[in-house]
Amino acid sequence: MNRIALSMLFGDRAKFVTLVVGLSFAVLLIAQQGAIFLGLVLRSTGALQNTVQPDLWVADPNIAWVSEIRPLSERDLLRVRSVAGVAWAQPYFSARALVELPDGTYKTAQIIGLDRSTLVGQPPMMVEGSLDALRAPDAVVIEESSRDKLANVNIGDTLRLNDQRAVVVGFCRAKTGFDSNALIYTTIDNALEFVPVGREAISFYLVKVQPGVDRDAVARAIEDRTGLGAFTLEQLRGRSVNFVLTETGIGINFGITVFLGFLVGLAIVGSVLYQFTLENLPRFAVLKAMGTSNLTLIRMVLLQSLIVGVIGYGIGVGGAAVFSLMGRKPGAELAVYFPWQLMVVSLGAMLFCVMLGSFLSLKRVIALEPAVVFK
Amino acid sequence: MSVLAANPVPGQPAPTGDAGIAVRLRGVTKTYGKGPTAVQAVRGVDLDLPANQLALLVGPSGCGKTTLISIITGVLDATEGTAEVFGNEWTRMSPGRRAKVRATLVGFVFQQFNLLPTLPAVENVAVPLLIQRTGRREALKRARQALDGVGLGNRAGAMPSQLSGGQQQRVAIARALVARPRVLVCDEPTASLDGNTGRQVMDLIKAASRGSESEPRLVIVVTHDARVFHYADMIYRMEDGRITSMAPPDEIDHAKAQHEDTRRRPT
Repeated sequence: MNRIALSMLFGDRAKFVTLVVGLSFAVLLIAQQGAIFLGLVLRSTGALQNTVQPDLWVADPNIAWVSEIRPLSERDLLRVRSVAGVAWAQPYFSARALVELPDGTYKTAQIIGLDRSTLVGQPPMMVEGSLDALRAPDAVVIEESSRDKLANVNIGDTLRLNDQRAVVVGFCRAKTGFDSNALIYTTIDNALEFVPVGREAISFYLVKVQPGVDRDAVARAIEDRTGLGAFTLEQLRGRSVNFVLTETGIGINFGITVFLGFLVGLAIVGSVLYQFTLENLPRFAVLKAMGTSNLTLIRMVLLQSLIVGVIGYGIGVGGAAVFSLMGRKPGAELAVYFPWQLMVVSLGAMLFCVMLGSFLSLKRVIALEPAVVFK
Repeated sequence: MSVLAANPVPGQPAPTGDAGIAVRLRGVTKTYGKGPTAVQAVRGVDLDLPANQLALLVGPSGCGKTTLISIITGVLDATEGTAEVFGNEWTRMSPGRRAKVRATLVGFVFQQFNLLPTLPAVENVAVPLLIQRTGRREALKRARQALDGVGLGNRAGAMPSQLSGGQQQRVAIARALVARPRVLVCDEPTASLDGNTGRQVMDLIKAASRGSESEPRLVIVVTHDARVFHYADMIYRMEDGRITSMAPPDEIDHAKAQHEDTRRRPT
């Protein structure tokens, strides 16, 4: 009977294509909206996306979001370094500055300041110039997608950062933050020239734990010794994501959009599957009259739904993946993140939609009076 | 062995002790709807249909013929009364059991053929066997034999859309007979066919009505077509939900019967 179900499904190509297109669109909508939502949330983690060397991030214990920082005292660095199990600890600076452009306009830039000797927290990849050149006075490395925003500067050009001279020595590739500001790397020494702050200037201390030492124990020891918070990357990311979801309008606004995408998908899948079954009711009635049990008819409808669902899912998720590749291009403003978990969630959503659509269809098939074959 | 013959089928119910009676209806009533808008389509029908005969059920449109054969074949419940087919009383069965019994006991031929348009002829014919969980290879083998039996062995791979109306009806007859049912119900089998093709189809149906003593068969044909009355062993006339007469075809005034049926048909 499975073959009969499949022949009913594949035999009418126009209906089959309509079904698959409907389902693909629904899955695409769910997966793509989900990917944009996750992309935006991920961007909210700012510098955390680009800095993977440290095991721990030391910050104010009440930090809620990686971009909302209470500066730390330089004295704390020595205390952190004195904790047993710490291999190294380096300062990391993050602040905003205004970049004045030749045409008189200006842009906000995110300034990342690194320890001059070790350059811990450096950008993931240099695409032009040398990172070593960053050690020179006034030197800055610009994230390549920010080039457009900064009047297409080149190596050797000078910028005015908060009215201070800055020299471009290279371009790097890194992920920008939630606000899509231009991203500029420099040393802490230079950064403090560009962004004058008080005595407490450091945003984070980046800590590497000695090999074989328990990371969580070191984190607790740092907290006990300094009164600061020592967070793993995941913990800090979690706080940032939680902040964005609960303290900004993104969670509710985009959540509604994703939910609407799901509802639209559900409506499409439900209606196309229901319509398909409805058009095949006379055939199901004939099969029922000839002695096909309700259970067999249910299996046939579920098989048809599942096959359409799987094909639609493949095309929809494939489309969403292509879409996400567009977001991966350097400089893309599109915030897209498409982890495997989203594929699983999309699969679950698709199965839910298909099951619900099938449920409506099955109600009709089960209630179908075989006597209609004589009408 | 010809597919037109009724043969022993494993698991099929044995004939009743009441020798020769294929269908027994007692006080069968069917009412559609409730209250003042209720319509009584069948009114207290008592009827015994003997096996190994071709019974024609005739009467004007709306007289209850379709409702009655729906009750006989177990696809519709009577509001009152009992319907028994070769000792199997539909009302006593669960829906699942009823479907199983119907699959082995009843074959259907419809006015509009009702073939599955996405399956070739041979697979259409194999459907009743597949419903009975016969292996696919065996089902297709028997389906080819059934198609040979109706003279369409050479069109086994043709899709329904590639067949003429007469050929489609012959495929439908092969499908109805492939599982060797004990009751074959044909609803206006010639209504969509020209005279010559209709005769070929009725020849096949007539041949199928010849069961054996050990495995008897009953064929019921619902029709308005007076040209096929002479194929019948017995003609049962229905009016207003009741069986009003039964007679062999040679005792029926065909012209008058058809005129009356036409006159009573709703416009």
